Amino acid sequence: MTETIGLWVAALFTIGIYSFLYKENPLYRLAEHLVIGVSLGYNIAITYTNVIQPKLLDPISSGEQGAWLLLVPAILGLLYITRFFPGVGWLSRYPMAFLMGAGMGVGFPLSMKAQVLRQLEASLIPLYETGMAWDVVIGNVVMVLGTLAALIYFFFSKPHKGLFFGTGSKIGIWVIMIGFGATFGFTVMGRISLLIGRIQFLLGDWLHIIE
Amino acid sequence: MKRSIPLAIVMVGGILFMIQYFIPHQHSQTLFDYYTQWAPIVGAFALVLGVGSLYRLHSHKIKRKAKNWQYSYAVLVPLFLIPIFALIMPESLGGGIMQNMGGDRVTQGVFDFAYLNVQVPIQATMFSLLAFYIASAAFRAFRAKSALASILLIAAVIVMLGQVPIGELIGKWFPKIGLWILRYPNLGAKRAIALGVGFGMLATQLKIIFGVERNWLGGAGK
Amino acid sequence: MNIWEKMLNVDRRWIFLLIGIACVVPFFNPLGLPILPSAEVMGIYDHIEGLGPDNAIIVSFDFEPGTAAENQPMSVAALRHAFARNIPVYVTSYWPLGQAMAAMAISELTDESLEDYFKYVEWEDWASIRDQGIVDRAGIEEAWTAEGNTLPENARGWVFEGRDIAFLGYLPYFHLVILGMTSSIASQFPTDVSGTPLEEMPIYQDHKSLRDIDLAVTSAGGSACVSWITYGREKIGLPIAFGVTAVMATDYYIFIQSGQIVGQMGGLRGAAEYEVLLKENGYNKGYGKAFIGMDVQNIAHLLIIFLVVLGNIAFFAGGFHKKTKLKGRR
Repeated sequence: MTETIGLWVAALFTIGIYSFLYKENPLYRLAEHLVIGVSLGYNIAITYTNVIQPKLLDPISSGEQGAWLLLVPAILGLLYITRFFPGVGWLSRYPMAFLMGAGMGVGFPLSMKAQVLRQLEASLIPLYETGMAWDVVIGNVVMVLGTLAALIYFFFSKPHKGLFFGTGSKIGIWVIMIGFGATFGFTVMGRISLLIGRIQFLLGDWLHIIE
Repeated sequence: MKRSIPLAIVMVGGILFMIQYFIPHQHSQTLFDYYTQWAPIVGAFALVLGVGSLYRLHSHKIKRKAKNWQYSYAVLVPLFLIPIFALIMPESLGGGIMQNMGGDRVTQGVFDFAYLNVQVPIQATMFSLLAFYIASAAFRAFRAKSALASILLIAAVIVMLGQVPIGELIGKWFPKIGLWILRYPNLGAKRAIALGVGFGMLATQLKIIFGVERNWLGGAGK
Repeated sequence: MNIWEKMLNVDRRWIFLLIGIACVVPFFNPLGLPILPSAEVMGIYDHIEGLGPDNAIIVSFDFEPGTAAENQPMSVAALRHAFARNIPVYVTSYWPLGQAMAAMAISELTDESLEDYFKYVEWEDWASIRDQGIVDRAGIEEAWTAEGNTLPENARGWVFEGRDIAFLGYLPYFHLVILGMTSSIASQFPTDVSGTPLEEMPIYQDHKSLRDIDLAVTSAGGSACVSWITYGREKIGLPIAFGVTAVMATDYYIFIQSGQIVGQMGGLRGAAEYEVLLKENGYNKGYGKAFIGMDVQNIAHLLIIFLVVLGNIAFFAGGFHKKTKLKGRR
């Protein structure tokens, strides 16, 4: 019974939101507001049961060895609340500083490795090796020169003139456009997929007219 | 107190943990472990900021009877009711959704009901609205006005045909060229963008660690 | 107003209707065209195929319901593959709403009303076997069936909670949680979502940190997946597989070529390719939602291309490229 009611509620919201395509209406507005409340409410519940309870309250209440140390992150965390009291609002900077400073310190060498060094390394590849298919060879050339040219295009400290900066940036923008074209093609696929997902729900789960 | 200490915490923490990466000594590892264990606890409280701001915004709207104020109840009621239900029926936190394990799908708790039948359909449908707008944009805005726009358009069409099975029926080479575009020219462009973003991110991180960038301090207690 | 101008000024709701029809009708007239798996998806499949009961993987639900139509089939496919090969799985989530998506995926794979489901054995139900000190997967199953439990006809296999799966769920600041798990998974997740202590679970005995994990499959609706590379792969060399929405997929080919990920499922097509691999290799009798969805996608893509071409014809034939301003409502 609950499941059936649930399906109808879900179907009502689905159709209600699609009715927005015809015209803005109260059901859409209701859905738009509900989604914020439900998602944040869910977030509170999950955060309590997954973090506050097992990682903070349980160890302290069971008197685990060294659990008192957990009061440090707890107090730091509680300082966020001061944000709502104008006189002491600055105290909320302490937990932010704790998370951000160390977080960036830990992340800096790793981000450099993941997103810069490895990428540079991966651009330095042999363009041709024996036995390599011709489309791969052309591809490698396009990829390596394309990266370089697109980097030149994004380099704004020098005017885009002459053979290196001028031609380079021109090739760069062509490569970038091909990349954006590919992204557009994939975006279409992504958006249509989401619509197909909803139609599968309406026709399948709700109306049972498709498998 | 108000600015210098937070800035100092960021700088000391940043430098300390950067060094930690290069010197994985037992003591530095202990420090690292404490930090990673504490971070989710501190981070969990950050939720208070979101809840507080949302509550203030919508309670003000209701008090002032601002335009569409009635809908603010649709935000506030689930915001507080759902955690309460989670507290009095904790088994419904994921457990409820999984109740069909073992064959008999028992009635779901309020918590799961709200997630499955309100959150999922609304969020998924809202995202799927974009399919309609992208179709409309394809007709109205996607013009081959210049050589560059044309190359974008051609690449998009080839990739689109390459991704669907019918593309291969139309031309055997569509999937091949589509994949080639993705693997080489697209990769070249995206790597250049990623490198730009990567360098920018690293620079910003350093600026924050060394206190050059201070916007995160916000305005409170200047 | 000439015909081209009229065409370009058509009420956009007609286009909405067209795309709606194009996505509904094919459900009733499926084309059933084959989908060939790409090297990017086969990279993930082969990697998991090379693993067994002594290994362990993570399947992370790093998306929210908004992109579930694309991401959920990927995660379900990876989970199915792992369950079928008895590979222990830790299930995590980068976002709070992702935890329930994970619950739904596990629920779908263990739903007894469906073909090829996995019979879920709850933690308490096989306590007697744990008490006997049996730890290896084959031994657990043997002892379980010796107790008189038989695998139902429709079922493909058993899933022992705590041995084949540990549902860990969500934690905030998940990128730091990934880092923390490089030292110890239990330090981040002392219990699973039902409150069972991780340290008591057989899965934990041989897989205590990310260093003992053989693959992390992240199915992401945004850039959360990159955190797995930055904090998992670059910190300790954890192998990563991506399942990403189509919108993000083109951006992440760089990670495939650089060898930072073993493969990528891009959008619904990627998920469908994995479903094809599962079916071809006997892990599933039928296809999943993604394969059926891709069949519908055929017509929708053709329609979009048709709209692009038609829009351009009207634009150029109407002479609007010569700076003739389009009149009327757009």
